[in-house]
Amino acid sequence: MKHFVPCLLPVLLCFVLTAPVAAEGPEMAPLSSEQSEPLDEFIFEEEEEVRAFDPIEPFNRGIFWFNDKFYFYLLKPVARAYRVVPEPARVSVSNFFSNLYTPGRLVNSLLQFKFQDGARELVRFVMNSTIGILGLFDPARAVAGLSRKDEDFGQTLGHYGAGGGFYMVWPFFGPTNLRDGLGSLVDGFLDPVYYFHIKAWERFGIKAVDTINATSLDKDTYESIKEEALDPYVTIRNAYTQRREGLIRK
Amino acid sequence: MKEKAYRFLLCVSVVLGSLSVASSTTAPLEQVRLTVDEIITILRDGQLESTAKREKISAVVRQKFDFRAMSQSTLSTNWRKASSVEQQRFVALFSELLEETYLRRIDAYSDEEVSYVQEAVRDKRAVVDTIIRSKTADIPVSYKLVLRSDGWRVYDVVVEEISLISNFRSSYREIVQKEGISGLLAKMEEKIRELRNPVNVEGAK
Repeated sequence: MKHFVPCLLPVLLCFVLTAPVAAEGPEMAPLSSEQSEPLDEFIFEEEEEVRAFDPIEPFNRGIFWFNDKFYFYLLKPVARAYRVVPEPARVSVSNFFSNLYTPGRLVNSLLQFKFQDGARELVRFVMNSTIGILGLFDPARAVAGLSRKDEDFGQTLGHYGAGGGFYMVWPFFGPTNLRDGLGSLVDGFLDPVYYFHIKAWERFGIKAVDTINATSLDKDTYESIKEEALDPYVTIRNAYTQRREGLIRK
Repeated sequence: MKEKAYRFLLCVSVVLGSLSVASSTTAPLEQVRLTVDEIITILRDGQLESTAKREKISAVVRQKFDFRAMSQSTLSTNWRKASSVEQQRFVALFSELLEETYLRRIDAYSDEEVSYVQEAVRDKRAVVDTIIRSKTADIPVSYKLVLRSDGWRVYDVVVEEISLISNFRSSYREIVQKEGISGLLAKMEEKIRELRNPVNVEGAK
């Protein structure tokens, strides 16, 4: 869940701004004169397209069903209760975790010889850890205009030509594929939390707070997909695959 | 004197001529900027209720988005296989579905800023890159446009690398493969009914 909630959240935001609208309600004004003008039949057929390879679909759909129950019966109710914490505080928690995960972004930028991105991550880390009070605020973006750029080991592998392999849905973590799944195992070693001298359940607690916090900031992305898509499984599989391929290209 | 008047007329005709060329095809980036700004102005209007906002926005979008192009791109190769009646039915249902889906999110808007980055035009197609600046992140949003006889129209929106149309295409293709175009149309009709009369969806607020 943690995987796809942040990655789909902005989709909603943007639809608010773009809001494609229907044409056919009888009470509505007619479409622009062009709407019925025919287009060249082949005009869109050559558009590039990302397709997921999903040989274990029935199994994935099973895990998808399990994650769905986990989301609706445990994660979401907890996140909703946690919303008593004022939003600015929750944004700060999210900033804090994002700052904490700098090593992963930095190392993977360098592994791809993206030195400018690496340098930006470094400057962001220094600014946000000091002026931004241990990463609770993001002055690097707000003041200096330096935005975070996500990099991970899955993207590094993709950068050097690795394909996605087959699509998988992991219990609790949600959509991934062979390349990105292996990638996130490697990224685990770049996560500072891994090196804290704490007990396993405490480590789990930290991750739980991160996930619940992120879910609380999300504007019901998954609920919307669930409600609106003709086949939510395919919608999410395609969104995940498109997003990962897009990130690798950048 | 005569010469002056002649020159003046020449200037006027050149200016008018260039104006009419410019107005017949506003550049893609400018077109997107005008549309998005218009929508944001409506969203920010504190006087309007959300139903009124919905109607106003839908009027703007109906002029600037090309639902036929969206439909054709969504069905891709299946578009040619469909009969013209099925094509028309699909355009109608797809437009309705998009409206039911996205206009209900108007209330979620909270003062995001948009910056316009660049445009790339190739033949009769263009891509305009923008960035939405929200509280927590910068979200890249690109618009794909197609040139029609009266100007550029949006036929796809790409948010954080995810193309809306390509996403629809992937699931619709599977449904057409299993159940044919008529099966897809039936499913769309059913979904529109569901969205209009929300039953108790699991976990819905």
